[in-house]
Order: sequence, then C-alpha cells, then structure tokens
Amino acid sequence: MRTVQAAEKMHGGNGGIWRRTGMKTVHWNKLSVILSMKWRTQFSKNFIAMPLFSVGLTFVMTLFYGSMAKSNGKALDDSVRGVALSLGALMNTTMTGILCTGMALAEEKEKHTLRALMTSSVNGLEFFLGSTLPVAAMILIVNVLSVPAAGLRPSAAAWAMWLGVSVLCAIASTVLGMIFGICCKSQVSASTLISVPTLVLVMVPVFGEFSGFMEKASGFLFTGVLSKAAAALAADTPRVDGFGLGVIGAEILLAAAVFVALYRENGYEKE
Amino acid sequence: MAKEYIRLEHISKKFGEATVLRDLNAVLHRGEILGFLGPSGAGKTTTIKILTGQLKPTSGDAYVLGIHVEKIDETIYEQIGVVTDQSGVYERLTVYDNLKFFARILGVPGERIEELLKRVGLYEHRKKPAGKLSKGQAQRLVLVRAVLHRPRVLFLDEPTSGLDPSTALDIHRLLEELREEGMAIFLTTHNMEEATKLCDHVALLNDGQIVEYGTPEELCLRYNQDKRYRVLLSDGSRLLLGQEAEDVGRLSRLLQANQVNSLHSCEPTLESVFLTVTGRALG
Repeated sequence: MRTVQAAEKMHGGNGGIWRRTGMKTVHWNKLSVILSMKWRTQFSKNFIAMPLFSVGLTFVMTLFYGSMAKSNGKALDDSVRGVALSLGALMNTTMTGILCTGMALAEEKEKHTLRALMTSSVNGLEFFLGSTLPVAAMILIVNVLSVPAAGLRPSAAAWAMWLGVSVLCAIASTVLGMIFGICCKSQVSASTLISVPTLVLVMVPVFGEFSGFMEKASGFLFTGVLSKAAAALAADTPRVDGFGLGVIGAEILLAAAVFVALYRENGYEKE
Repeated sequence: MAKEYIRLEHISKKFGEATVLRDLNAVLHRGEILGFLGPSGAGKTTTIKILTGQLKPTSGDAYVLGIHVEKIDETIYEQIGVVTDQSGVYERLTVYDNLKFFARILGVPGERIEELLKRVGLYEHRKKPAGKLSKGQAQRLVLVRAVLHRPRVLFLDEPTSGLDPSTALDIHRLLEELREEGMAIFLTTHNMEEATKLCDHVALLNDGQIVEYGTPEELCLRYNQDKRYRVLLSDGSRLLLGQEAEDVGRLSRLLQANQVNSLHSCEPTLESVFLTVTGRALG
C-alpha cells in the first residue's frame, strides 16, 4: 500500500489533476487535430476581433498621421509609419497572444471541454502546442500584414529582422497567455486578470516615446524590443541589439519556468 | 471467470483533514456493470477520478486493466471511456464535427460515428451545433463520444441525472448493448431503480465507505427478514400479512375460500436497503 507522502514524492505535488498526462511525447495525428480545431477557433467572433483590430489600428493610425502631415504640407515620414506599425504590432502581440490564448484555455475549462480532451488520450504537451502554435501563427500573419498596412516597403534584411522578433515575441506572449489561462477558471476572470499586464506591456513602450523612465523600462520588456524593431524596420536599419534579444530570451525562459511550475503543481486545471 | 478489468484494494482519499473515501474494495469484470450507489457527496465521483488517473488515492491500490492507477498516463484513455457530469461539448461545432474531432484524435473511422449516431437517435441532429442540443441529446452525444473507440471500460458518473424517462431508457438500452459487447461499465448513480435494472453488482456508498456490496438481488434478499405479503381480495379490499402464525393461518383460510385475487411478496428495494443500512434516505 502506498502512502500519500510516497505518492506525492513520486508525482511532485498534491491535489491537482492531469499532472500525470505527461509532457513528453507528441503524436502528430493528435497534435494536427488540435491545431486545426484551434486554428478554426481563431476565426470565431470572440477571437478574430483582436487581430483585425490590430491590423486595422495600424492602417487607421497611418491614415490619421498622414492627414496630419498633409495638413502641415508635409509627406508622411517613415518613422511615423513605424509608430503606427508599433502600435498595431503591440496590440496584436499582447491582445492576440496573451488574451486570446488565456481566454481560450479558460473557455476550455469553463465549458468542461478540457476534461473531455484530456480523457481522450491527449497529453499536456500536445495540448500546449495545439493551443499556442495557431495563436503564434496568427500573431505572425498580422504583424506581417501590418507592415504594408503602415505603408512601409522594407528590405529583405528588415523583413527577416521583423519576422524573427515577431516570432520570439509571439512565443513569449502565448506562454504568458497559457500562464493566465492556468490561473483562471472562467473567461470573465481571464479577461479581467489579463487586462492589467496587457495594458502595462502595451503602454510602457508607447509612453517610452514621451518619458525617459518609460523608455528605460520599455527596454526590459519584450514589447519594448518589438517596438524598437518596428522603428528599425521603418528606418530600414534592421538591427536588434544583443540586450534586446537577451530580454526576449530571458522573458521566454522565465515565462516557461513559471508555466512548468504551475503545470507541475496543478496541471491545467486545479481540482 | 470473466477477465478482471478493475480492482480497488483498501482505497482511501483525504482532502486536507476531510476523509472522503475509506477503505474501498471492489472488483469489476469484463461484460459487467458495477454500480456505485449513494447520495450526493458520498464519494462516487472521487472514486471515478481516482480510477481514471485524475486524482491519486491517499492510500490503497487500484488497478484499471491491470495498470496501477498511479502509473496511469494518457494512453489509458485509448482503452477507457469517461462520462462525467462535467463532460463538455464544443458548442460551436456541430454534433458530427464534435465526434469527428475526437474520432480523429482516437484514430476511429468515420463510419463508427454514423453507426453510433443512428443507434442513439442523434443522426437527424448531426448538423446541429452542439450548443443547441437539449440536455438529453447532449448527454447522448457525450456518451457516444466516450464509446467511439470501443473502450474496454466505460466510466459513467450519473449518466441519466436530470434526464426525462424516455431518454434515460434509451441510455439504459445502449448500456445493456455495450455490456453484451463485453464492455465493463463502472456506473455511479443515486437512482436505485436504475441500479437494480442495470447493475450486476452494486456497492452502497455512504460517507465514503462501502456499507454493502453484492448483486441487487442478494442485497434485497439479505434485508428481507421481515417478509410481508400484499393481498388483494375478491371484494377489492387489501391486506398486508406477515409470517406470524396468525397471518399464515388467515392467508391459508382466504386461499381455501378462493377469496384471493392477487398475492405479492414485498421484497425490499435497494432504496429501503440503503435506508436500513445507513439510516438515511437517498437523493
């Protein structure tokens, strides 16, 4: 007979469910089924609004800045187009990445479909990848579409830099989304909880334009690095400094560590 | 002897200081239905969660298809089906797409979906979004999803709770068919009539403890000490007679005088057995 202490030592925690669904093997057939379903979910009315809003925001802001410049008798400067791109990309990366991922997981819990999935031989890693990859792909697509929406025509090197930074930021934001999803039981609590960090992640780089302190703080956020990348793309000086890459890398690692710790403690859903 | 699919040995479960399961022992064989009966909070759902690897026991051992529950991983779900009161459906997907989604995960061919939909009367509703199904239809959908991959063991947590009698009957019929096909079914319910009708063995659960275990007939006979007979006489009056000499003599005289229209023995039901054993009613 095993005692609870022995069992807990074996599993490393207590009370949570799904801990035993391993984070080890990925079955392509299961992953592809989840991926296709989650990709379709991206286009439902609850989720498509964010990507559309983001690319729309870039376009509208470009028109707005353009009309301002025109009224001053000037042509729209690429650096201003970069600001419009930065706004859209920040909204997209945070709102789509964190909010949509977190709310999708919370919805699975609220509607009890997560339980159904996990009792259908899907493991934790398959669910994680199935939940994050479509969102990351959507972030990437919207960030790409936002470039022509801002009226920019970057060089190949600038495109490569933009894609690379977007991919890294998409990873960071979707892992953050999963963390919030684990912590929330319903979509309402998810949207409430997520709104604060999302605002911080968007507003700090935006206010960095006006405040030295905010600019400094922005340098320590992956959204700040994304904002700088937008400016670099607009200026066609495709460079991301080592510090910026280090910030994104460190934040991905930190988010992954928090996610794994939460998952080990309670699985995706605390009992 | 049929193959043993589930074994519980001295299973106990505590949440903090509260003990919710105490020293449970039970066995379920291939082609059998084992009913765990008890009121809400008796520990039925916790037992299912332990057996399906969603919770670990505080002490004791349990085996599902020969695998210790603490060694269960996600591959066990390729051989078992689970229906709980919290089995959700993807409301935006149609009935058919819900099943297709899980069929693809479990590697089940599409023909199986159609076969099962016809069997439970959901075929006409296959294009309906799952969110628009009635409670009974949604429960049938969840049940179909759980048996898509022909699991060897099916766990059902209150499968007919809150359903109308006709839908409950459909589900009973399906469960009987699945048992005939060799599936072992672990059923929790507080509906004693359902348990009497479906189960090969029942465990009466009270405050996390099995207070009686056996076939429904065995349990009813075990508590049939105070035998009573309901007599309908030809003049329309009714009598309830016991086994005392006076009652036996009276019954004998009535029979000889051809005054008895009908005579029924009053065996206890599982409900009355539960009441006798625990001193509390179900519900």
